[in-house]
Amino acid sequence: VILEDVLRHAWRAIAGNRQRSLLTMLGILIGIASVILLTSLGEGTRLYVLNEFTQFGTNLVAINPGKTETTGMPGAMGGTVHPLTLADAETLRRIPGVETVVPVVMGAAPVETGGRTRNVFIYGVTHDAPRAWRFGVRVGRFLPEGDPRTGSPLTVLGPTLKRELFGDRNALGEHVRIAGERFTVIGVMEPKGQFLGLDIDDAAYVPVALGQPMFNRDDLQEVDLLISSTANVDSLTARTKRILIQRHHGDEDFTITTQTEMLATLDRVIRVVSLAVAGIGGISLLVGAIGILTMMWIAVNERTAEIGLAKALGATPGQILVLYLSEAALLSLSGGILGLAAGMGAAWLLGLLVPALPVKTPIVYVILALVVSLGVGLASGLLPARRAARLDPVEALASE
Amino acid sequence: MSDVDLIRFAAGSLRGHRLRSWLSLTGVAIGVASVILLTSLGEGARLYVTGEFSSLGTNLIIVIPGKTETLGATPFVSTAPRDLTVADADALQREIPAIRKVAPIALGTGPIEYQGRERESVVVGTTHEMMEVRKFDLGVGRFIPEGVRDAPVCVLGRKLVSELFGHRNPLGEMVRIGGANFRVIGVLAPRGTSLGMDMDQVAEIPVETGLRLFNRSSLFRILAEVRSPMEMEAAKKRVVAVLAERHGEEDVTALTQDAVLATFQKILAVLTLALGGIAAISLTVAGIGIMNVMLVSVSERTREIGLLKAVGVTRGQILGIFLVEAAVLSSGGGLAGLAAGIGAGRLLTHFVPDFPVQPPVWAVVAALTVSIAVGILFGLLPARRAARLDPVAALMRQRA
Repeated sequence: VILEDVLRHAWRAIAGNRQRSLLTMLGILIGIASVILLTSLGEGTRLYVLNEFTQFGTNLVAINPGKTETTGMPGAMGGTVHPLTLADAETLRRIPGVETVVPVVMGAAPVETGGRTRNVFIYGVTHDAPRAWRFGVRVGRFLPEGDPRTGSPLTVLGPTLKRELFGDRNALGEHVRIAGERFTVIGVMEPKGQFLGLDIDDAAYVPVALGQPMFNRDDLQEVDLLISSTANVDSLTARTKRILIQRHHGDEDFTITTQTEMLATLDRVIRVVSLAVAGIGGISLLVGAIGILTMMWIAVNERTAEIGLAKALGATPGQILVLYLSEAALLSLSGGILGLAAGMGAAWLLGLLVPALPVKTPIVYVILALVVSLGVGLASGLLPARRAARLDPVEALASE
Repeated sequence: MSDVDLIRFAAGSLRGHRLRSWLSLTGVAIGVASVILLTSLGEGARLYVTGEFSSLGTNLIIVIPGKTETLGATPFVSTAPRDLTVADADALQREIPAIRKVAPIALGTGPIEYQGRERESVVVGTTHEMMEVRKFDLGVGRFIPEGVRDAPVCVLGRKLVSELFGHRNPLGEMVRIGGANFRVIGVLAPRGTSLGMDMDQVAEIPVETGLRLFNRSSLFRILAEVRSPMEMEAAKKRVVAVLAERHGEEDVTALTQDAVLATFQKILAVLTLALGGIAAISLTVAGIGIMNVMLVSVSERTREIGLLKAVGVTRGQILGIFLVEAAVLSSGGGLAGLAAGIGAGRLLTHFVPDFPVQPPVWAVVAALTVSIAVGILFGLLPARRAARLDPVAALMRQRA
């Protein structure tokens, strides 16, 4: 009953000065709406990017050549510049927990057939690449199994490349020239779409053994390990590292990146960025809070006589404090609710108008927005409410 | 009534309600300060990037092997079927008069070793011309001599020297790079990080030696310095044409330094505007706060306004009084915010001296203009209400 009374009193005070209250709420509304909109964009981007990366599977461990680090160990075995080789990749296959190993060499080269030419990325890989990267073959089959050190002139085309070169015609069994060499098309991949703006369907896959001479190198750009579970990823990378260091005469001249580790880093970066942006948007919330403080201060001044009367009639300072605090909180919370609606509405509209823009309002932020607006009201109402509570009834009544 | 009296009237109201005036002012100040700080950061980033690029050299054309339809990724994957060779670089120098100097780059990483101490570092294979094209300064000794393409000599970065040699003189000493012996002939002057690469940790060796060391036949890049900025575009076209003729097809990408820089600057400008804009939302909220306070002030002084009108003050003058009051509030806030924003920027520069934080002139002008405009815009409604008051009704009204 008392809570109801308090709320009714607060509501009457707010409604009694409608224009003033609406303007005050508008401040909070704008603040909450912009924070909600910005965090929605941030969360949408985060989910989009994570999704882009997990489409290759999370059980992937990538090894790239090169590392900059001081070793400075006395007596360390000096060595040549050790690139990653096919032999390195084959050794890693024997580690328990490694399902398969895909050696990768890549580069750009023209693919031509029947007078049409297209410059695309060429990936030199092995039979297991679709499994490791979660690709599917739409027509035909992928590169055959066998010794990675040898390979037949066979190629699998990405769907975009296939369409550009062959249109709707059947490509299977046709010949294409890649970097001047003749290859037979044995398959077309399923569309995979864009990866962070890059069309990964605009590519061709050849056996790694043929990709190396094509780009005139006998090392690899990357070795991908598909592991059976992410549970033992740490021991597995440690083991991989040990084996490679041994093979490279004591040099750790490579870098191991696990998919989970990379995802975690990305996740963290995006979270920080979207938090920072939301924080900048939140500045307006602070300004809105100052607005509440100002208006409540004015209200207390205006109602000095009224407060004096209430006190003379036996209202305790605590009751007065609660009364004015709840007025401020109610103002702010209503602004917050309206702002939440406006922000979510704007986010939804944005998602509708620009479908490419990922937008998502997480429920946590919705609750947080309400809590924050309530908190803002209480914090900014504290000073005026305390002033009201401490008014001396006699002086207050006399002030009229 | 004279204008001075009117201004005194407005000032009196500001002074009479000190807290309320200060609070409104603070709102604007917070908004302006955050806009100034964010645009300062953006401007700092722009200056930083521009500085990095100009430290790269001037009037540079960067030639990258390979050409793809998906151009965005070309710079990262530098393997193309046809090699970019040292002979190509010589041809550019020979055949294009607009080009002053050409420096080929072969890039790799490898261990550098001296008496048991080892450091994994970036090794750049290049020629004498590199020093002029990239405007290197030599600390001691000399750079790769003119015309030397293949010799077991190296020039080391400052940090590399201090890590491998400590305080000893490195000149004339033998180091092992990737297993081969090299004589140190020079040390570069400290240069710091340039485009993410720590130039003080780089070892430079003759270009052919570098290609052999990394077992590559293709250069990583060719840098060409053009005589004058006017000839950039023509020279760029000639570079592509000359190389297309030599390779039988167009298979390289040529970028001008300006184009790359312009792209970066565009991205940064958009980012700065976006963040500044988000921060500027708080100015709207501050404006609403001013409007609210002014509305209260108008209703409190209804009788006074009625009196002023009764003694013959015109509507325009009343409007003026309240607009001036609002403008004083908001421009005062704007000035305070400007000072706070610049101060915060200075503080930041103090802690991070490498990053030049300073507000762009346009942002300072815009912030002050906007803050005054905010006051006038949001003051308009209350001022008009005051101006339109009926003197008789206003005088009759009892104060609440």
